[in-house]
Amino acid sequence: MTSENTLHNDELLVAGFPVRSDRYYDRDNHVWLLPMPDGRVRIGLDALNVETTGTLAGLGFLPVGSVLRRGGTYGSLEAAKYVGPLLTPISGIFAAGNEAVLAEPGLVTADPYGAGWLAELEPTDFDAELPLLLHTEAELRSWFSATVTDYRSRGLIAE
Amino acid sequence: MADTVAFRLLVDDDVDAAAGLAVDEALMAGCARDADPPRPTLRLYTYRSHSALVGRYQSLAGELDLDRCRETGTGVGRRPTGGGAIVMGRDQLGVALIVPAPPRPPRQLLRELSAGVLAGLAGLGVPAEFGGKNDLLVNGRKIAGLGMYTDGSGAVLFHASVLADLDIDFMLQVLNIPAAKLARHGASAVAQRVTTVTRETGQRHSGAGIRSAIADGFTETLGVRLERGELTSAETAEAERLIHTRYADPEWLYPKAAAPDGTGTARFRSPDGPVRVFVAAQGSLIKSVLFTGDFTAPPDALTRLESTLRWQRLDPAAVERAVRESTGGTGTDGWHSPAEVVTAVLTAGARALEHATAHPHRATGSCYFPDTPSRDAE
Repeated sequence: MTSENTLHNDELLVAGFPVRSDRYYDRDNHVWLLPMPDGRVRIGLDALNVETTGTLAGLGFLPVGSVLRRGGTYGSLEAAKYVGPLLTPISGIFAAGNEAVLAEPGLVTADPYGAGWLAELEPTDFDAELPLLLHTEAELRSWFSATVTDYRSRGLIAE
Repeated sequence: MADTVAFRLLVDDDVDAAAGLAVDEALMAGCARDADPPRPTLRLYTYRSHSALVGRYQSLAGELDLDRCRETGTGVGRRPTGGGAIVMGRDQLGVALIVPAPPRPPRQLLRELSAGVLAGLAGLGVPAEFGGKNDLLVNGRKIAGLGMYTDGSGAVLFHASVLADLDIDFMLQVLNIPAAKLARHGASAVAQRVTTVTRETGQRHSGAGIRSAIADGFTETLGVRLERGELTSAETAEAERLIHTRYADPEWLYPKAAAPDGTGTARFRSPDGPVRVFVAAQGSLIKSVLFTGDFTAPPDALTRLESTLRWQRLDPAAVERAVRESTGGTGTDGWHSPAEVVTAVLTAGARALEHATAHPHRATGSCYFPDTPSRDAE
């Protein structure tokens, strides 16, 4: 089991949760996006998403080559009898699902920013859509801490 | 009353596995973001006796005795929702509630939507409560299983299977629950963990027989009025399409397994005599746990521990925490050495993982019962 979630250079700790400042975040769905050197983007769930989802029982992806629009579904996951969609923060062609998390869904919980990544896309509207995501440290701190405060006040996560 | 929101009520009986599930999903279009106006629907239905349904990411071959299903004419299906394997038929009421998804986290929503079932059971004189791993329980015994599915369209499908009655011996034939089949008192072990409306009320009930009470429960908790309706022609066509492209499609029913499942067992001593623990694991995730021994009813601490361990990771810290939480440190519920219990669970888990590699399709858990040994069965 890897644990990239310790002592990472780009890691901020916001309201008790790690947030990586090297990547971009979908405000509504708590999904991160990391541009890769080969032009693809890698996506995964952020630490708060993992916390509220609970232990994953299984997940699955659409076939490679599926055409996705921003906000569309590229797969589904099951936790605590709930099956919900995996939503892409950016439009693109589904290029790869992480085989490691299919075999071991617990990786997503153990290392959401590292080995627990979910999928890679070939983005189709990268320049237009990237500004829709949060990225600066100030944006990330403000957004993430506000969400955590809201969730705590509603009893969705522990104090 | 004129201002009360109307929900459509659909009623049907003796549906096939694929058709039953396909209609539920077809109804979601009526509550998608672009549905104008939205058409929230409560469907209260029964499956043909019998239909065996597994959860979204379970293996049919692992959960069901497919030969026995064929011999008994039992239909099989895979739900879009999560959870474990169940047997449905005339004695179980299927509940499908389709509404526009409120902006709430799934776990909270599942609990909220189950209130209609709880109110319906209360109307029948059955005081159930939300508990366990998102189940409805009566005195710790499961009376209904819950599940939920959203597809990104803006609609949510809530599922419940309510046990009006249950033929446990038949269930043990078609579901792979080797622990119950092989343990010395398997059927009674199931009976100790499950209950039915018939058992709670002392009066025989069928799935259709509890329908109006459950409908009343939803009317009360949702604050809506129910209007009997039918499927639209578009919904009928979509359900037909889904039967062929999804619910009766071999690729949906028998996908390549992702994480291998396995089961293992170990023993530990307790003041009530030896206890055997069965652990089913998928990857390093505990899918289910069962304790058996020579007790008339399983000690409360062990029942709590079965529930707490479900969906935990198979690592010492998680298992120790679960044992500590379940025993409350009192050690009064039939065993006095938490360390020995932790060791037994981890040993059974390690055997399960070992077995998973050798046999990639093993049972991981019925909705109404945990699992499953693969060796050292009593």
